[in-house]
Amino acid sequence: MIRKEAIEIAAKEIGNFPIISANGYISRDLFESYEKKSNFYMIGSMGLASSIGLGVALKNSKKRVYIFDGDGNILMNLGSLVTIGALKATNIVHFVFDNSSHESTGGQPTPSSQIKIEKIAKAAGYTVFNTKTKKGLKNITKKNNHTKGPIMILVNVKKSNYVSKRVSLHPVEICNRFMNSIRKVSK
Amino acid sequence: MNEKIQRQMFDFLNKKGIENFVGVPDSTMKYFIDQGIKKKKILIPTREEEAIGIAVGMIMSKSPSLVFMQNAGFGNSISTITSLVQLYKIPILFLIGWRGYLPNDAPEHTKFGQVQPKLLSILGIKSKVVTEKNWKENCVWALKQITKNNCCALIIRRDFHD
Repeated sequence: MIRKEAIEIAAKEIGNFPIISANGYISRDLFESYEKKSNFYMIGSMGLASSIGLGVALKNSKKRVYIFDGDGNILMNLGSLVTIGALKATNIVHFVFDNSSHESTGGQPTPSSQIKIEKIAKAAGYTVFNTKTKKGLKNITKKNNHTKGPIMILVNVKKSNYVSKRVSLHPVEICNRFMNSIRKVSK
Repeated sequence: MNEKIQRQMFDFLNKKGIENFVGVPDSTMKYFIDQGIKKKKILIPTREEEAIGIAVGMIMSKSPSLVFMQNAGFGNSISTITSLVQLYKIPILFLIGWRGYLPNDAPEHTKFGQVQPKLLSILGIKSKVVTEKNWKENCVWALKQITKNNCCALIIRRDFHD
């Protein structure tokens, strides 16, 4: 399964709930495969999708808040796992699409093939699920509705030559429509 | 800035609608932070950029937020400010401690203390220095900035040695 396929499967299962997506190909894949107003496409500030997601989660404690991260992104902000874990943010579902590379910048390697993000997340207080398959991803995404967070869903994905189009919305528009949409989302 | 004013400033901003105070501590404003801890309004993440990200999420949830940090942390945050806060036009109120304001402050602060006012200006972040005399009017100014959807900064000088 390539990253875009994984993102499409997860986003469709999540439906109308807010998703904060990391910069680079992750936001581009989400924009191309499941565009909606409650997606916050973070196009700069690498590493911070999980922090933005935490801010949204703390202020909307009765809603599930989804984060779409990459291995390169979360490795830049490991402290975020500590903060999310320490605050016991039970409504966070944190996807990490892991291809052990900075694919958006040319596929350079990250150390996620040598160290286990899963173990770091568990040590920080996350409940972690792993999958490599489309079926597994679908099931886990469904199942997490009944699990208390913070949850990490670590999705092993393959590198690919496919490149999604850039997010064509203006950042201020992304922000405004996200703000309007999260008020309306209900479980 | 003395203890009493720092505590008053926290209470004032909180009363005027700032709901969250997220940041990395600076001894220059320790009484401000302590007042917030007593009121259970302080969140201290691991780094300044993380604090900014969390505040962005809170503000997008319609909950006005302040991010506090030392100027060293402001230096760490520059790219996040340009590519997140300013790009998406998120009205964060920054409170930044000005280490290196006094010429004989600790040596690691000298350089940044010198360039800080220029950096704020180059980045286009409107800022005011708060003192024991003008703190209230400058807080009112900052609150007005964020209602106009502008990020802005209040600066506390390190005017003592320890």
